[in-house]
Amino acid sequence: MLREKGFNTFVIVGGLTAWRKAGEPLESVPKDDLVKLPTFS
Amino acid sequence: MNDLLSMMARHGYALTFCVLLAEAIGLPFPSAIALVVAGAAVASHTLVGPTVLLTGMTALLLGDISQFWLGRYAGWALLGFLCRLSMNPETCILRSAESFYKRGKTTLLIAKFIPGINTMAAPLAGSMKMPFGQFLRLDFTGAFLYCLTYLLVGYGSRDFLANLLSGFHAAGRALEGVVIVALVVYAVYHIAQAVKYRKYDVVPRVQVQELAARLASADAINVQIADVRSHGYYDRGAERIRGSIRIEPNNLEEEIKSLPKDKDIYLYCT
Repeated sequence: MLREKGFNTFVIVGGLTAWRKAGEPLESVPKDDLVKLPTFS
Repeated sequence: MNDLLSMMARHGYALTFCVLLAEAIGLPFPSAIALVVAGAAVASHTLVGPTVLLTGMTALLLGDISQFWLGRYAGWALLGFLCRLSMNPETCILRSAESFYKRGKTTLLIAKFIPGINTMAAPLAGSMKMPFGQFLRLDFTGAFLYCLTYLLVGYGSRDFLANLLSGFHAAGRALEGVVIVALVVYAVYHIAQAVKYRKYDVVPRVQVQELAARLASADAINVQIADVRSHGYYDRGAERIRGSIRIEPNNLEEEIKSLPKDKDIYLYCT
């Protein structure tokens, strides 16, 4: 869909797992991006 | 096929227990059909109703309780694994979570009747920190309603099933037909999925090393990395590729409005 909209996209083979295994840099997901699900506690 | 049917008559309780336990722990087994058959067996005095009910509920509760505690301690890792077994992994967790949003705790009473949510409800309740006593009460009631409903369906349709099973030969042929139809449906579904997603194969794939080299070069300003994991996979303390932005795959129309068209976009998931 992104390509249909004119974006030049690529897919990283192996995703985050491969990135982590290769020792490439990571960062914590920002709190604003965390979607909280309901809790019962 | 005759051997299979006679085995069902001999091991009705064990088969009911195993099928229900298997489905409760997330395996694709038809527990509703097992209960309907068991209900018909009760009607024909082959099995004893209260014992079948107790057997079924015990299996469901054992599976659900283990899933509840696994969900409590394994969190999204378990939910993600279970969702890979579902028809739609991307929306699996969200659909189950939405059910909890809409219906609250009563989700556990009806979850077993809803494909997809039936497997996710117990581990989701565990990951949501539902008190175990409360979970047990609701899940017990849900298991009772589920088992009783399908046993009664089987009990009520005993004449139909009796006619179906009146001759092992005819039943065997009917079951063979059902198996063939199921295999055809399964194959058609996977072919349709392959055709549906074939267009995504045209998206170029790059190795990690290739991207890392580009990021280390002066060309890095033309790169945008985007995390397209469904947000169900996020957990407190979760990590992502440094410098990446998030694209919510279930809200793509809105998300792309803020994407830079002058950069190459590298997508990744788990």
